[in-house]
Amino acid sequence: MQVFSPRTAAGVAIIIVHIFLFLPHTAAAQDYEKWYKQSEQHFLELKQKAGGGATLTWNQLPDWTGIWSHDGGTRFDPRIPNYSPTSAKLTPEYRAKFEKKLADQKRGIEWDHLSYCLPAGFPRWITEPFLREFIVRPEEVWWINEQQSEVRRIYTDGRGHVPEDEAYPTWTGDSIGFWDGDTLVVHTINNKEGQYNRGQPDYSDKVSTVERIRKVGADVIEDDITVYDPLSLVEPWHVVNRYVRVKTPDLRINMWSCEENNNVVKTPDGSTQFILKGEKGYKDPNSLITGPGETPAAK
Amino acid sequence: MKRTFATILGAGVLVIGTVPASAHHSAAAYDRDANVDLTGTIREFQYTNPHSWLFVQVVDKTGQTVDWGFEAEGPSTLLRAGIKVSLLKPGEKVTVKGHPLKDGRPAAILVSVTKADGSVLSSDPALRRGPGGTPVDAP
Repeated sequence: MQVFSPRTAAGVAIIIVHIFLFLPHTAAAQDYEKWYKQSEQHFLELKQKAGGGATLTWNQLPDWTGIWSHDGGTRFDPRIPNYSPTSAKLTPEYRAKFEKKLADQKRGIEWDHLSYCLPAGFPRWITEPFLREFIVRPEEVWWINEQQSEVRRIYTDGRGHVPEDEAYPTWTGDSIGFWDGDTLVVHTINNKEGQYNRGQPDYSDKVSTVERIRKVGADVIEDDITVYDPLSLVEPWHVVNRYVRVKTPDLRINMWSCEENNNVVKTPDGSTQFILKGEKGYKDPNSLITGPGETPAAK
Repeated sequence: MKRTFATILGAGVLVIGTVPASAHHSAAAYDRDANVDLTGTIREFQYTNPHSWLFVQVVDKTGQTVDWGFEAEGPSTLLRAGIKVSLLKPGEKVTVKGHPLKDGRPAAILVSVTKADGSVLSSDPALRRGPGGTPVDAP
């Protein structure tokens, strides 16, 4: 018995092929992203779709003025709490490192390089709390983070990345971008290895990202990020982070010096401890300028 | 060790919900399940980054003065919580709640400060109170 005519069978086959071809596009955005093998390919494809990308003039720039703060604590994937199983698809090596990190934390052993007053590094930088500001200019965007008074520069003047023979890993990486309407599309490479935050996985210095940053409401800026890392991830990791407007009146971002009052030390077992006031090695913030042995000015 | 401190200093044990977030260091040194509730006199308020420290002189049952350090967030976070540097002056009598160090040394992560007028300063909006302990809106 013939169930389908050849013509019907051909029609069904075409429908099936179309379903597979367009599945990534019809699925959620995060599913779409992971089909890309390389961040550069991803970035260039977005640029092509944007007609080559634009460098905006002053009157075309979006209004991102104000002070903002990361929404969702220090989570890199805001859906997943720290110290929980990650949504990242890790390689066996990095999965083992992550599991050890969680086990150590449960034993009360945890260290963070931030406690040496080093910068957070990128892409962890995305997650850091406190205050942020965007300075949007035609040729570049400065993304200021209160913590460590850091500035991440995203060049939108059409330049490429730093030439390979001059490139080296930096704390905020090498970011270039273009405008697709009111969306800032950014490609970042040349990062230092690090961790997404405490209680989260590590990444290697081969990590790179593609971001699409845009204002999605009067008080919300969204950063849609796809992370690529051949050493730590078996497939790209897509997350969406949000920054909400801080409405405290007259708030301003002041200079943030981590060395001003840091008495955190690493213990022999690799955990975190404090030198307290009056103990040997304590750095008194009142005498950092006058120097040890000198009498600080009366307050 | 925490029990030792509670005995020596006459500290009460409270149920305190939230722990202030720290971007700068792990909280591994603190015992988040233990609480101290100490009354004393402010010696110094270091309104600094990456963390502020409130130092309070506490007299224990033997009459000995112990300097307790309470670690808090940096100035901009405290300011947004309504904790201005001018609100905690040296010489002022306060009652401070926190989660102590695991190793028993006199330091804790700050949870709240109750001033003589009954107002409560805290990064946790649920704990804040105005003079006389009246409810306040988050700043």
